[in-house]
Amino acid sequence: MNLTTPGRTMLSLPAQGLRVLSLPFDHETTEVLIGSYLSTEAAHEDYRSALDAGVYLHGAIVVGKDLSGEVSVDLSDHMVKEAAQGLGTLGFLSGLLFLPLLPVATGVGATMGGVVGEVMHVLAGSKVKGQAASAIPLGCAALILAYPPDSADGVDAAVRRAISKVTAEAEGHHVQALRNALAEAQLELSTASA
Amino acid sequence: MAEPDRTSLPLQPAPFTGTANRTLQGSEPDWELIHHPRPPEGAPNVLLVLIDDAGFGNPSTFGGPIQTPNYTQMAEAGLRYNRFHVTALCSPTRAALLTGRNNHAVGFGSVGEFSSGFPGYTAMVPPECAPLPRILRDNGYATAAFGKWHLTPDGDQGPAGPLARWPNGWGFDYFYGFLGGDSGQWDPLLAENQKIIGTPADYGDEDDPYYLPDAMADKTIEWLHGVRAQEADKPFFAYFSTGCSHAPHHVASEWADRYKGAFDGGWDRLREQVFERQKALGVVPEEAELTARDDAFPAWDSLSPRLQAFYARQMEVYAGYSENADHNVGRVIDAIEELGEIDNTIVIWIWGDNGASLEGTVTGSFNEMTMQNGVPLTDEMQLQLAERYGGAESWGMPIMDPHYSAAWAWAGNTPFKWGKQVGSHLGGTRNPMVIHWPEGIGDPGGLRSQFLHVTDVGPTILDITRIPAPSRVDGVPQEPLHGFTFADTLTDQDAPERHTQQYFETIGNRAMYRDGWWLAMRTPRIPWVLTPEALKPYAPGVWDPDADPAELYYLPDDFTQAHDLAAEHPEKVTELKKLFWEEAEKYQVLPLLATLSAFFGMTPPLDHRDRMEFRGDVQNVAPGMIPRIYNRSYAISADLVVPDGGAEGVIVAEADHLGGFSLFVDAGRLTHTYSMMGVFVYRQMADVPLPTGEVSVRMEFAADAAKPATGGDVTLFVNDEKVGGGRMDHSVPMRFSAYSGMDIGRDNGGVVDLSYADRRPFAFTGTIRKVVFDLHPHASDEDEQAVHTVAHHANAAHGLSA
Repeated sequence: MNLTTPGRTMLSLPAQGLRVLSLPFDHETTEVLIGSYLSTEAAHEDYRSALDAGVYLHGAIVVGKDLSGEVSVDLSDHMVKEAAQGLGTLGFLSGLLFLPLLPVATGVGATMGGVVGEVMHVLAGSKVKGQAASAIPLGCAALILAYPPDSADGVDAAVRRAISKVTAEAEGHHVQALRNALAEAQLELSTASA
Repeated sequence: MAEPDRTSLPLQPAPFTGTANRTLQGSEPDWELIHHPRPPEGAPNVLLVLIDDAGFGNPSTFGGPIQTPNYTQMAEAGLRYNRFHVTALCSPTRAALLTGRNNHAVGFGSVGEFSSGFPGYTAMVPPECAPLPRILRDNGYATAAFGKWHLTPDGDQGPAGPLARWPNGWGFDYFYGFLGGDSGQWDPLLAENQKIIGTPADYGDEDDPYYLPDAMADKTIEWLHGVRAQEADKPFFAYFSTGCSHAPHHVASEWADRYKGAFDGGWDRLREQVFERQKALGVVPEEAELTARDDAFPAWDSLSPRLQAFYARQMEVYAGYSENADHNVGRVIDAIEELGEIDNTIVIWIWGDNGASLEGTVTGSFNEMTMQNGVPLTDEMQLQLAERYGGAESWGMPIMDPHYSAAWAWAGNTPFKWGKQVGSHLGGTRNPMVIHWPEGIGDPGGLRSQFLHVTDVGPTILDITRIPAPSRVDGVPQEPLHGFTFADTLTDQDAPERHTQQYFETIGNRAMYRDGWWLAMRTPRIPWVLTPEALKPYAPGVWDPDADPAELYYLPDDFTQAHDLAAEHPEKVTELKKLFWEEAEKYQVLPLLATLSAFFGMTPPLDHRDRMEFRGDVQNVAPGMIPRIYNRSYAISADLVVPDGGAEGVIVAEADHLGGFSLFVDAGRLTHTYSMMGVFVYRQMADVPLPTGEVSVRMEFAADAAKPATGGDVTLFVNDEKVGGGRMDHSVPMRFSAYSGMDIGRDNGGVVDLSYADRRPFAFTGTIRKVVFDLHPHASDEDEQAVHTVAHHANAAHGLSA
């Protein structure tokens, strides 16, 4: 699987975009970004935007669920190759803040979503899909990016369409560290939108 | 035959003048006894056309960007009226149009959905104000209405009525259309005469999909042919009231695509172009000035290219939708021409009932109901939701219920300020009118500039048909008409202006017109904003209406309201303020802001019904009549008979995927889907298959709190055993749909859960004995009252958008 759109090949990607390197998770900090979206197209667009900007990414996942409940998961080629390294990550919090338009003391709402996805070190698409089936609201999508700290500014600038986005850092052993980082990001997302 | 006394309706038959002996021997019949009422000799046919939610600067006939060749053809062979005024809101304009009286005086200070305990806001026409169709029908006209009605209170839209508040009760022999304020054009919930007949079977047909504007024209032509097949000479009164151009803006892409790129220059440039054309056409005086953009609308050039493209498509669809309305009115006119009756038919065609609608907010919306439900969505959220439902190419298709940006509406009201709801300014109160009547117009292609008001249409029709306004109807003395005939303007460009004084009031925005002077007092609230902060200044004891900013215009010199003269003529301001209060009292306008009374604690008594039962064959329950499940805990249970082979299908469904719920069985599992305005969609499915035989199923929603849009937990039960459930973080606070109905045993029209869209209406294959809604009372009376209050906020919010 890859995240390219029809008519576009990996060869056309910016040279730095998906350069496959050995993952240095055990030795350096990795940042994780979760973006939430109301459409899968927007999540794909932000991912492409990051690539087009030449930002170095360790890997990425775009996961979406259509209104019939069909789940789609797109992993970067990089992710597939590095499957055993622990970025088969799925978690989704949507963070729309509903402000009341009507004058009610209690307001129209607060946090939506609230499903804390579980970090998995399982990278097969089908398993991600299974998790997404329960974690992603119908019609919504998520983008998860992992990248080194020096890509952070580029990622932040590229991920422009996310309804909400949070980041966290992982250090140490890659699987547990990423799991913790994602949990932290999700908690932040939840708190921010409460 | 002697001319009957037409001042008392129904017309009384003349006394029997024959002889009735014990046998036929010597008896003489009086054949006049069995004649039906006849109108005065030579009374013409009347075709009254009303376009919805459109502005002065929309149709090309008045310089707008929307191609309206039929409207132009009528204008070039008839007359354009460029100082015709409406009430700035849907139902009020319709009530005034069809009664010849001021809208508050006939109970329509607000919309049909909103009935309040003040005389001017009941949404119920008093018997002292018999409507125009009733008068014409009783005088021998064949009468029919097609399309939008919006004059029947929400709670009366079922078989129990009262049906006197339906179109037939207003005097129309025949009705085909929808009772509410707006409707999907692809999937309307139709009414025919005194029955809700549901969504047409050919909705969604791939080869030949149902489309309401086409069907309205078809039905009108069919009705005309039927009348003529029976009565060659009986005049007709046909009221053709389009759902267009109200949201949802539904039209096939072939219409929208005619405008590809036409609006890429944006709303600011569009206004300038329209204004130039208006001057060239002469519908705006040469000396007029284009009014400025209010800060409520963003400058086009300040928008990102992505947003500009998004907004441009919104307007392309609106334009195509509106052009289609022109096309279908043209089909009706062609049919009259083919009957050979166009010369003797007066066509009165009003392009808009309240100016173009600002209710899409600045962003526009993929679902018109998001605004009413208080769901604020940013432009990026709107973009993504539009993408979710198919993107720009699907804007206008059944998958969305779109409304364009308020800034397009403002541009549609060029050259004026503001628009719908803003009764203080011409953007909401001045609309184009064209009259075509070859037998009655002296200078085809002419322009008329007398000050006219929508209440004048009825008196003018009566004047032309030589039917007097009755002084008694059904024995009830009648309130005189408030409008004035302008029949003499048909032949005399310089006919005197009779309508010299008129108040305007819509949701607190008000104006007083007299002899060219226009006092404008706008409540400084953005029409689409109903936040607590926005409403706080209008609370009882806080708001002093006389302290609202007052603007003064002299319209004979200032066509567009560009020059505020209040500071120069304070005495005129004082005079018109005083006159407004006098008129307000006279015509039941008071109390001001009655439409918003629910926001200030004035609600009807609590409805204590907590259980509603529906048998298995109930369908097409109007959206305003479904059980009040909003913002509370409730349960839906059903008694089923499941055959040995199992069953599937919908047990009960309300509305569609853009807001609604469905309890259904698929793949043997009880399933509940709930769409929170198409933004959030929740689905819970049973863990175990549905058994066969006599089965009871139940869905319980346990609300977190008595608050709008409350979240809560859903639990599914089969034979009282818990079989599944899940969390819904938000629920619909106000209203699932403006037009889509509730069905037992199927999901008519657009479906709630798109997973069964290909099996629509997904009728239940077992037997449904009954479906029961149990509304769980909240823990305290205060909470119960709070939810009740929100329900009435909903009525007001819906009213503001309909």
